[in-house]
Amino acid sequence: MTDAPSDLPNSAAVSNGHASLLSENPMMKKRNAAETRFKLYGIFALTVGLAFLIFLTVSILRNGIPAFTQTVVNVEFTLTQEQFDEAESKMLKTAAYTDIFVNNITAQFQERGLDVEFDNKAIERLLGKVGGDLRSFYRENPAMIGQPANFELSTASRVERYLQGKLTREMVVDGRFLEAADLDVVDAMVGAGIIGTAWDWNFITGTDTGVDNPGGAGIGASVIGSFFMMLVVLLLSLPIGVAASIYLEEFAPKNRWTDLIEVNISNLAAVPSIVFGILGLAVFIQFAHLPQSAPLVGGLVLTLMTLPTIVISTRASLKSVPPSIRDAALGVGASKMQSVFHHVLPLAMPGILTGTIIGLAQALGETAPLLLIGMVGYVAREYPDSLSSGLLDPNSAMPAQIYTWAARSDEAFFEKAWGGIIILLIFLLTMNIIAIILRRRFERRW
Amino acid sequence: MKDMIPVDRKMSTMQDSKISARGVQVYYGDNHAIKDVDVDIADKTVTAFIGPSGCGKSTFLRCINRMNDTIDVARVVGDIRIDGEDIYDPKVDPVQLRAKVGMVFQKPNPFPKSIYDNVAYGPKIHGLARNKAELDEIVEKSLRKAALWTEAKDRLNSPGTGLSGGQQQRLCIARAIATAPEVLLMDEPCSALDPIATAQVEELIDELRQSFSVVIVTHSMQQAARVSQKTAFFHLGNLVEYDDTDKIFTNPQDPRTESYISGRIG
Repeated sequence: MTDAPSDLPNSAAVSNGHASLLSENPMMKKRNAAETRFKLYGIFALTVGLAFLIFLTVSILRNGIPAFTQTVVNVEFTLTQEQFDEAESKMLKTAAYTDIFVNNITAQFQERGLDVEFDNKAIERLLGKVGGDLRSFYRENPAMIGQPANFELSTASRVERYLQGKLTREMVVDGRFLEAADLDVVDAMVGAGIIGTAWDWNFITGTDTGVDNPGGAGIGASVIGSFFMMLVVLLLSLPIGVAASIYLEEFAPKNRWTDLIEVNISNLAAVPSIVFGILGLAVFIQFAHLPQSAPLVGGLVLTLMTLPTIVISTRASLKSVPPSIRDAALGVGASKMQSVFHHVLPLAMPGILTGTIIGLAQALGETAPLLLIGMVGYVAREYPDSLSSGLLDPNSAMPAQIYTWAARSDEAFFEKAWGGIIILLIFLLTMNIIAIILRRRFERRW
Repeated sequence: MKDMIPVDRKMSTMQDSKISARGVQVYYGDNHAIKDVDVDIADKTVTAFIGPSGCGKSTFLRCINRMNDTIDVARVVGDIRIDGEDIYDPKVDPVQLRAKVGMVFQKPNPFPKSIYDNVAYGPKIHGLARNKAELDEIVEKSLRKAALWTEAKDRLNSPGTGLSGGQQQRLCIARAIATAPEVLLMDEPCSALDPIATAQVEELIDELRQSFSVVIVTHSMQQAARVSQKTAFFHLGNLVEYDDTDKIFTNPQDPRTESYISGRIG
């Protein structure tokens, strides 16, 4: 020890030129302040991010959830045998049914003391072709004739928006779709208590409709289109991407050519997706004459787009496998290929899966290249009936369908677009959950 | 002329030498790592390579089973023969060579698989077992030889990476001897182990001498003195002295060897 004074514990140490540990020195104060500031920035950034996320989720849900329900008119209706026979004997049979329906509703209104005048045309504007619906119901279920039956008739989208307050009487221009007088009928229906909401399965399972029928539009066919595209992408890009990365990482000599390939792969990952769309149009459709708007072509285009992502992430995860494992395998006399397939690849699997899922998720949300090869929303008119028609028949994909809806002039489609986004997000979440589960399973095998 | 020399020398040493190297040079790119090394390694003995860090002893060891082939920039010149066969002959498949010349690395590197699979992997890929029973037997024999059987027999299906460091290294030794090699190369096998595990591995090396020619690279001169019969001292890529271990440690011929073992260089 040095010749320190005996009363060292107090301020003596400081006066001695040594700093006391009990007080912060200025340098330390600065460093601590910087650290605190940095933590605060982090918390601030997280809070802002979280707030935006919540805002986004809430607005998507608020705007999108109405797309899953529809406004319906509940009518209890009894058709007598005489009415049935009479209507069937007429020339305009569905019109006869509509007449019966109108009379019935009018009677119900009058019971409640509501006095509204309306005709067949108004009913068709509000509820669609009711007569046809009724006729086919009774022809299929003749036993119901003479029995009271409950009908749930979906209303036109304009009625729905009027009830939501998004459409006011001033906005209504009399025409083919709606007349101001029709809204009196709607008011009367509300008064009669026969208007309600019901779950709209058609939105999930249906196909796209024309621009004049927002109520009937569904995303089902596009979901199938997306599914077939993802199938193509997965089946092509995973094997090709992984095989290419294994070759580049483990077998290829390191020279100018492989350097060039590496640079090109990195660049390809950054190429705007619309460029891939143009490429797909030129190569697959105009040159190879594959069918337009086909999920197969969409899948091929998205495969080109996904490959660089998969190659880059696979190479990174192959690189991260410790070289000692390769040495160990080679040391016991495994060939290069055995060491890669028995030892390196299983260890790299979690990383490869993550990269693949990121690539697939990107592909699932891609819109621009699909528009160029004709996979726009309005071609999704029917369900494919086999695997080959699923791959080759014109179809759309979820994001393209959403884009098409959002671009339509009828505001009723916006709700559909938001609803479509919810379905798209559910798909993405499902894919990510599957990825996490797979990752866990592979990691557990040490 | 150059071809003549090794043949001559080979004749004179054939009887008891398992590995004979003549005029071995190794280059890493422009770096001349091993300079003209001649050495004869006897069968069923433990030969230790000692020397300061970076002197080329590990590099030379990796030439014996051609592990240097996996390094792109490494280039080996010269003549290394095992049982009189040139292992750098273009006809030699390094994979086949490595089945004959096993290797244990500095850091224990078990495969992230079960203990059983670690040991069984080599015999499986070389087709040494015709059925499961034979494979079981090889695994048991190898683990027994590596003095790991009693500790591992009840947990053959648990991961090899879950063992302690010393056990892992013995597992790696078991894995190396499971392919029935003739030469076992060990690259500082005890550098990551504590004294007790080191003692166990050293005991094991002494037993392995019954069946193999063992070449061990070590940083510890005491270890070299304890386990080996022959010692080679490397310095700056040169083989300075190669002789019986007793002689190297008691009566070194070269002043550099003497400085190293007495702690003045290295």
